[in-house]
Amino acid sequence: MGPAKARILLLALAGALVTPALPLHAASLTAPIASYEISCRLDTDKKVVEGTELLTWTNTTSRPASTLQFHLYLNAFSNTRSTFRRESLGMARTVAIPDSSWGSIEVLRMTLADGTDLLPALAYLSPDDGNSDDRTVAEVTLPRPVAPGETARVSIDFRSRLPRIYRRTGWKGDFFLVAQWFPKVGVLQESGWNCHQFHANSEFFSDFGDYDVSIDVPSRFRGKVGATGKQVEERQGAGDRVLYRFRQQSVHDFAWTADPDYVVVKDFFREAGLGDVEILLYVQPEHASQAARHFRAVKAALSQMGRVLGPYPYPTLTLVDPPWGASEAGGMEYPTLITCGTHVIAPSKAHNPEGVTIHEFGHQFFYGMLASNEFEEPYLDEGFNTYMTARVLHATYGSNHPVINVFGYRFALGIDQHYPVDTNRRYFGVATSDVHAQPSWKFRDVKTYGSDTYSHTALALSTLENLLGVNVMDRALRLYADRWRFRHPTLPDFIAAVREVSGRDWTWFFDRTFHASGNVDYAVEKASSVPAKPPKGLFERDGKISEGPPPELARARGYDSIALVTRRGETALPVEVLLRFEGGKTYRSSWDGEARWKRFRVSSGPRLLEAIVDPDEKIALDEDRTNNGKRVVSDPRAAARWTARSVFWMQNFLDSLTVAW
Amino acid sequence: MSAARTSGALACFGRGVRLSLSKPYLAVSLWLIQLLLASVLILPVSNTLHDLLDDSPAASRMVANPDLGWWETLLRTHPDLLGNFPEILTGLLTPEGVTASKLSGLRGLGATAVALGMLAIVLHAFALGGILGTLREPHGSLVTFGREGMRRFPAFLAFTLAALAAALFAYRWIWIESSLALRDRMQDLQSERQAIAINFARLIVLAVILSAIKLVADSVRAIWVARPDLPPVSRFFAGIAGALSRPLRLFGVLLWAIVTVLALYAIWIFADPSAGGEARFALVPLILTQQVFVFLRLLLKVGYYAGISEALTRTPSPEYSYVAAPPPAASPSAPATRDDEPPLEDPAGAV
Repeated sequence: MGPAKARILLLALAGALVTPALPLHAASLTAPIASYEISCRLDTDKKVVEGTELLTWTNTTSRPASTLQFHLYLNAFSNTRSTFRRESLGMARTVAIPDSSWGSIEVLRMTLADGTDLLPALAYLSPDDGNSDDRTVAEVTLPRPVAPGETARVSIDFRSRLPRIYRRTGWKGDFFLVAQWFPKVGVLQESGWNCHQFHANSEFFSDFGDYDVSIDVPSRFRGKVGATGKQVEERQGAGDRVLYRFRQQSVHDFAWTADPDYVVVKDFFREAGLGDVEILLYVQPEHASQAARHFRAVKAALSQMGRVLGPYPYPTLTLVDPPWGASEAGGMEYPTLITCGTHVIAPSKAHNPEGVTIHEFGHQFFYGMLASNEFEEPYLDEGFNTYMTARVLHATYGSNHPVINVFGYRFALGIDQHYPVDTNRRYFGVATSDVHAQPSWKFRDVKTYGSDTYSHTALALSTLENLLGVNVMDRALRLYADRWRFRHPTLPDFIAAVREVSGRDWTWFFDRTFHASGNVDYAVEKASSVPAKPPKGLFERDGKISEGPPPELARARGYDSIALVTRRGETALPVEVLLRFEGGKTYRSSWDGEARWKRFRVSSGPRLLEAIVDPDEKIALDEDRTNNGKRVVSDPRAAARWTARSVFWMQNFLDSLTVAW
Repeated sequence: MSAARTSGALACFGRGVRLSLSKPYLAVSLWLIQLLLASVLILPVSNTLHDLLDDSPAASRMVANPDLGWWETLLRTHPDLLGNFPEILTGLLTPEGVTASKLSGLRGLGATAVALGMLAIVLHAFALGGILGTLREPHGSLVTFGREGMRRFPAFLAFTLAALAAALFAYRWIWIESSLALRDRMQDLQSERQAIAINFARLIVLAVILSAIKLVADSVRAIWVARPDLPPVSRFFAGIAGALSRPLRLFGVLLWAIVTVLALYAIWIFADPSAGGEARFALVPLILTQQVFVFLRLLLKVGYYAGISEALTRTPSPEYSYVAAPPPAASPSAPATRDDEPPLEDPAGAV
């Protein structure tokens, strides 16, 4: 037995000695399927976490399970042949992946409760792409199948090597965000194991359980360790070490962070009907002045999302602010722990850190409790959450303002950026590039994945809200959230909720906007209004045909107006058309939007001023609003003034070019 | 020139502005050049905007304020209108900067604007010859401006292109390459404040180098005009020596010019005359206000060049420190003067 194995055995023994001493202090919110008791030790020099876990897993399907499948996520960072590295093309979200720091997870021991060694039977699978070099999914064959309803206990020793931070996990200096760090069992469904590889564009999927995790860190981290759940113990460890213990019921993942530089700030959320939540903010010293902004944002989200989706059910919420150079750790969600992200210079008119804080908190619902499969239906968490985030941001702060980065200083421009359309415009650039609803690793690239998953879904749901009405939409969301809380919903489950609440089947809407790749664009091609003319020709009068109209038609009145509305996009949605006439009169008509065009004609009416399709801007998916209207009489004021401005700034541009030389 | 006059940067800049104000036709000529260049774009911009906006219901809400959605839709639906021109402009302000390869993304009006910029640089060489030459004439005029500009144009164009090349070289190696070299190390810093400080230091170094290039070029130009009695090579080196001998004063003049121009821009931005008035006739006051602003800025620009010329002027004048040699006897075989050089126009204040 090598020294490493001996140390791990000692850790396991220590964990075993400590674990039974504390009883569970609260009942689980849902029946646990995959629960973990983990004891781990952080080696800050080697950037390694060594640990032992006891997995208690219950087969909730109707079929016996002869194997267990595990996610070994950190192996995605082990070499350049992993599926993650192949798909990511060297980029992780916003930064280049360094080739100098690797991550891995080794399973050192795996035994059943009766001592049966499972390690010899461990094999690596690549169910998604057949990449035999990918080691992010492992399977062990059990000596005896786990019967339906039966519980298996598996003890695992592991060693996790953390990379220099990228893709949501790792270290930077003394900052650690330890995520996707332990062998984690997949989800057994009636169809078999659902255990996907780690992809460049995908997140996670797990079963709910209870977590009890002991973390052993050097004592310089005292008071600076945050994690999923509630801290239930802090005690001096052996030597210059300190040991923390966190517990949380009814979650499906566990992440923790440590940084001696953290400034820890506490606040509380309390609202009738939504319960009490202790909020812990682990913020970098240079961002400490922004603590109030973080708290205001997350409280707004707790309140507004709670009122729509139901109360946040956990007693704690931990916000983590990664340091400079660790932005890849920011903007990520774990149960009861979210990572935010801000800058030293964060103009208040621009909604950062508020936007990222609210978004990541929103994942406590869409991902946390409504634990959809992020691999296969990424829009159910990211897209639904982007939609809710926009609602909270708009209600709390109003319009956003774009930021311009001037040599590292960030300034907010005095231009309104409206939620949700302006903030999700990136979708319009790739609207027809990909099918919107598909597994995350099947998108063409990260651009279409991000635009479709986040922005398209948010715009589609905003469109749906406008068509349904906000009250119906909220009731549908609430029904969906109540029904599927602590379970694994799919898109048809939400469609069913919409159908139940609205009394109508909206499957067609989702077929067109989620399961297709079309764009939406309605336009007014033509609007005209000319003085009506009396009819000419032969008319029947008193049973005789004679030239000229009868007297009642001989005198023309008003104007004849025509508006031609077209569907330029591939996707048809119902729209309204507004005709605005002189004297303040308006005419509003509905169009199912199915045909390629529809002509609206008003004879002998007041003079038409303008025609507008979708005047209330209900169709948030409309990719070009600039063609949504047509004036009969031109208004050259804006063009003239912007021409003047253009020439003026051109003069300034030319002068600036001649300044330096 | 009085022997008692002060030679500080502010005083030089002040005298330069007074000179500029005394000869406003110089600023007018610069204004005309820039307006004519910019007017190349008036028709295409105007036609495009009228085509996109006049019949749109968005027109009424776009009169005073920009509409981000309209602008972003325009860039997406009409990619050939500007190309990556906005990206280049904003990229110039980022810590990473913009490389020359980005120019390949320019299209339409954006490409035209940059081409006009190149033309403006060439015409700037002409204008500087005219300004510096006319400033030394007691009774100058637009005719003087044109004559002096054309006379110095070849030399000044060479100086301008050399300074432009030096500035681009400095931008590349101080800003772009340092950004690439520091990219990973910046991420390893302890705090964002340190990264901002390093960016600020890079910016200061770049600004100082660009300023030095500009001041050397301006010094060479000023002395090229002021010392026609010297052969060209001597004038060139005298110009460099002038910059090297009075760097603080020259930097001071430049700094005062920058401060006053920035103040002018600050007033413009805060007053925001573009936003006011929605009536159709308000267009005329807007255009007038804009052009008054441009004219004021150009007055300061001429003032800066006059200030640089003042800063390089020795006091007391060297005319009292030596006795000029008698003119050579007229000889049918020897030219009276060099074709490209005028007689000493204003010996008082020579350097």
